[in-house]
Amino acid sequence: MRGHGFLLANYVPGSSLIHRTPLWLKFVVLAVCGVASFVVVDWVVPAIALGVFCLLFLCTGAGVRRLASAVWPVIPVLAAIGAFQWWQLGGPVAARIVFNVLVCVVAASVLTASTPVQVLLDGVASLARPFRRFGADPERFALTIAVMLRSIPFIAGAFADVRDSARARGLEHNPRARVLPVFITTVAYARQTGEALAARGLGEPDGD
Amino acid sequence: MQAVTNTVSLRGASVAVPVDHGHEYKTLLADISLELTEQRIAVIGANGSGKSTLLRLLNGLVAPTSGTVTVNGYDTARDGGKVRSQVGFVFTDPLSQLVMPTGREDVELSLRRSIRSGAERRAAAERTLERFGLLPLADQSIYELSGGERQLMALAAVLSVNPRILVLDEPSTLLDLRNRELLRRTLAGLEQQVVLSTHDLELALDAERVLVVDAGRIVFDGDPAEGVERYRSLCEASLP
Repeated sequence: MRGHGFLLANYVPGSSLIHRTPLWLKFVVLAVCGVASFVVVDWVVPAIALGVFCLLFLCTGAGVRRLASAVWPVIPVLAAIGAFQWWQLGGPVAARIVFNVLVCVVAASVLTASTPVQVLLDGVASLARPFRRFGADPERFALTIAVMLRSIPFIAGAFADVRDSARARGLEHNPRARVLPVFITTVAYARQTGEALAARGLGEPDGD
Repeated sequence: MQAVTNTVSLRGASVAVPVDHGHEYKTLLADISLELTEQRIAVIGANGSGKSTLLRLLNGLVAPTSGTVTVNGYDTARDGGKVRSQVGFVFTDPLSQLVMPTGREDVELSLRRSIRSGAERRAAAERTLERFGLLPLADQSIYELSGGERQLMALAAVLSVNPRILVLDEPSTLLDLRNRELLRRTLAGLEQQVVLSTHDLELALDAERVLVVDAGRIVFDGDPAEGVERYRSLCEASLP
């Protein structure tokens, strides 16, 4: 199974200004990017923001290749969305939507490239702590993020493997041969992951 | 090396799973009664004989449909959390087990429940990785590691929380000769009680006690050399 494809960049050890920026500030910037994508109506602003975030990404030392590999998986989807929006609502709207999504992807990649996963999980657990009074377990929130981070590359790898095996059997144009095995593999993977977490006692209530 | 004393007891433990939409039940393990107190125990048997189910009973991944399984007095069906904090489990395929992108992060994930401070957790993970000689590989993607390195990484992640018992389900199946030998030496140096299933008969001969499983029943329990011989004769008898 391939597991290298990843929507977000993996952590790159370093001591840049971005690495030293407090986690809460990175979370806030990311949240602002998400909210701004609904508020900003001009395509120039997200285009400039995209340039700024690309520069920030390069400041982490992660390099152009990692930036490209973080952005590349969303390009086909964005091309389809952009073309449709252009046809329906015109060029400026299409550009605004595409740039906004790219800003969010690159901003998230800046966060993951400059923050060790465990620090990220500690941050998520801290954010979830106020919900403890309602019976929520902050560690489970963190674990959910951990499982999500692991699952994205796995599923991307499953798509690539299934595409290759469909090609090898001459079934590359058969949607069933390309989608059904990914579903089956993903369900089996989810069961395995659940079993592995249970075996390690992860996600169990404290004090059990 | 200070050996850790444990008592794992199975009393009339059976496991059955529904088949044919719940109209019938298939028995995976039938009426198993054992006391596992030795430090090194190997379980051998053919594919589908019930080895993995037997091992999964030991840390509560599978609950017995009848009978009981206890680990140091804790019932695996009732006190699952306490049992799992004492019994570490290593799967055949380390990729099913390693949850995080790198080994260091995975070891730190194991430690999250026992060590709250991030700095202490990092230091503890560092010590564990160093102990197994895995520090140079700690920040590599788990997909870039060899099969043996991944298996050792999975083992380190499980041992980082210092379980009293280590259960391994066919740990050497995916390994080449060198990595198999490395695993064998690593297991020999552990203070934990080790219960493993294997098709590697040399690994089974390292044990103090061997259980031979056939069609969901223990058909031999005793000396490793005799157990391996019994398994060989079972295999030969089943050939067409």
